[in-house]
Amino acid sequence: MEQVIANGLYLGAQYALIALGLTLIFGLMNVLNFAHGQMYVLGGFITYSIYGQLGLPFPLAVLASGVTLFIIGGLMERYLFRTVIRRSHREESTMLLAAATAFFFDAVILLLFGEKQRGVPKIVKGVFNDFGIILPYDRIAVAVIAAALIAGFIAFMKYTKPGRAMRALAQDRVAAQLMGVEVDRYTMIGFALGAMLAGLVGGLLVSITGVNSGIGGPISIKAFMMIMIGGAGVVGGAIAGGFILGMMESVGLTVLREYGDVTYLVIFAALMVFLSIRPHGLMGKPWG
Amino acid sequence: MTKKLIGVLLFLLLVFVVIPVGIATTGRKDLYYVFTSIALLSIGSAGVWLTFYIGRINIGQGAYALMGGYVSAILVMTYGWTFWWTLPVGGIFCAAASIFIGLPILRLRGVYFAMVTLVLTEVMRLLTLALPITGGAKGITSIPQPGPLNILGITLIPDFAAMENPRIAFYFVSAVLMTLCYAGMYRLVHSRIGHICMSLQQNEELASSIGVNIAYLRLIAYAISSFLGGISGAMFVAATQSVYPSSFTVTDSVNFMLNCFLGGLGYVFGPMLGTLVLYFGWNLLFETGKWQLLIYSFAMIVLMLVLPNGLLSLREGKRKG
Amino acid sequence: MAEILKISGMTKKFGGLTAVNNVSFSVNEKEILSVIGPNGAGKSTLFKLISSFLKPTSGEVLFRGERISGLAPHIAARKGVVRTFQETTIFKNMSVRDNVIVAHHLRSKASLAGYFLGTQTARQDERSFGESADEIIKFLNLDGQRNEIARNLPHGHLRALGIAIGLATNPQVLLLDEPFAGMNHDETMKAVAMVRRLRDRGLTILLVEHDMPAVMKISDRIVVLNFGEKIAEGTPAEIQSDNKVIEAYLGVEDETIGL
Repeated sequence: MEQVIANGLYLGAQYALIALGLTLIFGLMNVLNFAHGQMYVLGGFITYSIYGQLGLPFPLAVLASGVTLFIIGGLMERYLFRTVIRRSHREESTMLLAAATAFFFDAVILLLFGEKQRGVPKIVKGVFNDFGIILPYDRIAVAVIAAALIAGFIAFMKYTKPGRAMRALAQDRVAAQLMGVEVDRYTMIGFALGAMLAGLVGGLLVSITGVNSGIGGPISIKAFMMIMIGGAGVVGGAIAGGFILGMMESVGLTVLREYGDVTYLVIFAALMVFLSIRPHGLMGKPWG
Repeated sequence: MTKKLIGVLLFLLLVFVVIPVGIATTGRKDLYYVFTSIALLSIGSAGVWLTFYIGRINIGQGAYALMGGYVSAILVMTYGWTFWWTLPVGGIFCAAASIFIGLPILRLRGVYFAMVTLVLTEVMRLLTLALPITGGAKGITSIPQPGPLNILGITLIPDFAAMENPRIAFYFVSAVLMTLCYAGMYRLVHSRIGHICMSLQQNEELASSIGVNIAYLRLIAYAISSFLGGISGAMFVAATQSVYPSSFTVTDSVNFMLNCFLGGLGYVFGPMLGTLVLYFGWNLLFETGKWQLLIYSFAMIVLMLVLPNGLLSLREGKRKG
Repeated sequence: MAEILKISGMTKKFGGLTAVNNVSFSVNEKEILSVIGPNGAGKSTLFKLISSFLKPTSGEVLFRGERISGLAPHIAARKGVVRTFQETTIFKNMSVRDNVIVAHHLRSKASLAGYFLGTQTARQDERSFGESADEIIKFLNLDGQRNEIARNLPHGHLRALGIAIGLATNPQVLLLDEPFAGMNHDETMKAVAMVRRLRDRGLTILLVEHDMPAVMKISDRIVVLNFGEKIAEGTPAEIQSDNKVIEAYLGVEDETIGL
């Protein structure tokens, strides 16, 4: 039992961080970023190259993942999404753009890094074994770093000027503009931040699960589920959704172990039933 | 009116004469498979387009294509039905299933609906892996060619197995299905129903205030969409003689949606054009080997920047300019 | 005059908050009845309850003796009680004429399948809808904008279009949501005249409004809400001299009122 909860918390922390980036972009611009999983993979490969291949320190590698994705995210918003949003009759057109960029990243990743599964040396050795819980120290380290990043992100959104500006934007674009928020600038920063979060998690997790070029899509789907559970566009919702999905996976994989993929089937079915009762997730605003 | 008639004739000529004759003269018989696929995928895309038309982003067509394919395959293999009866039954099965699924999920709007339908595709894949009747990961293979279709003693469609090249037959059947599908779609959109669907797309509250039963209409549109998905999947499975859980995946669902976007959401024939361009473009790029996906996605991004309202918006721009 | 709409014991709670509390009144045929009250008095909640856009916590609305509350908007509309919206709620990407034509939905004689197949009845419907739409457009002085795409219309015309959409459903009771909001004096006077003409067409009008002078001018009777409760009901003259009403309005200082 303790083991299941510990696993759930470990999964939840990383999931919440993934969902945060996606929900930030959605909240600010109403864009469902299909390329979120690919950004995660890209972050993973950057850390793999710097830490795994060049042998530089792990924190530096993860930082490089974050910074690279921050820049890529900013450029994507400025030169792709902004143009399409301005010129398209229908908001949903951004979905096509997002899907196309997802394919594009897939192609780039495949060309640069190949299709092999890549891993890196453990960042911390040893296994924690007490209170009926067995958990490798590196997992604990990653979970703690993830939790710290989440706390840092919340503090950033609450107490800094850009954070407040972005929250105003997410709530009401027009009102924010009237209040003097530089809409274009903060939308770009928000998109960059969302991408950065994806890159950071990708970098962190490469030390545990490794990375391969094919996992971008599945990661995106998981992230979609998390923000559906919690409510799209809401920071608290993304965190709640991440931890709930982490717990469900942890419990499901223990209880339904013999049935293989049935866990996900059950989670999906539960999600559908849940959404029919609460169409906007736990904390979402109507009209997603 | 005459202009419309000429357009229809040109279309029929292209589909039923120019393409087959072209293939016959160049000897590229493999192209039959390509065009069959395009015809079938554009039927599925037409369904997605209809859900767009009532204001819902549908990324779940892969689920119904897979469902239709399995229903047809199981009826043929396990129960010994003639394929031609499994085709409509597969479609109706999907329509019925979509009513059950649609009842709760059609209340969702915007991105929520989009995400749920995306998840639905994944559910269907896992379901086909888990159910005893679908044969797990190995799927159902060696499905026989469709037999003859006799109604009242008249052979409407001959036995495919007895043909020298059943690929040509598959192409013609698929092309006929596509033509019927788009004729129906055109009629639907240009009749009063199209206007009512449009009112739903633009403002559901106002639509219900003028007495439109929006829940009912959404369900009907979604059922038609899923019916088309099922038909397209069933026919596809017959053409490839096999079906696996991976026959239609999330990528296919996304592609169905992209076809609609690319062609243009405001035009009935948008999804057909979108399917043609995307599928054909993808196949043409096969020659470029490992660069295929890169060039393809790059072209798509550029296209999106230049024509964010779909390919058919080119025509409109000309008219205005 | 015969009673056409009877609202009895209407109550709506959102969580712990009571937005509308035990409100009862009735509307007579071919009457113009206004519901007024300070901001947050529960006017718009009541409006949504009557048009079945919200389900009441308790109480009911009877239209000619038949319950129409707690069902669905399209059912209330089908029976003959139709609401209009404030100006942004129109079919934005359709022409003015198409907006009005599509709103003829309730007059359809043909089925959906009939429209698809283009049967005799369906074609007859489409023809008569076109004619009726033209008549309504003329009635509301939208002639010049007939083929304009709705989203490009100026404000005043948008509101007329909203009413045209409501009229197209052939209602018996038309519920108007703040028909004079944001208008200057001249515009308001024109709108007042227009609402009178609607009544002359045989409609019963129930409106929710802020603009006191207009309400006083146009209404046969007035119902006043405050904090979700009915505090007064009567003719404009009676309401103007009602102490409770004056108190309620004076209690809200930032309200611009004409009393």
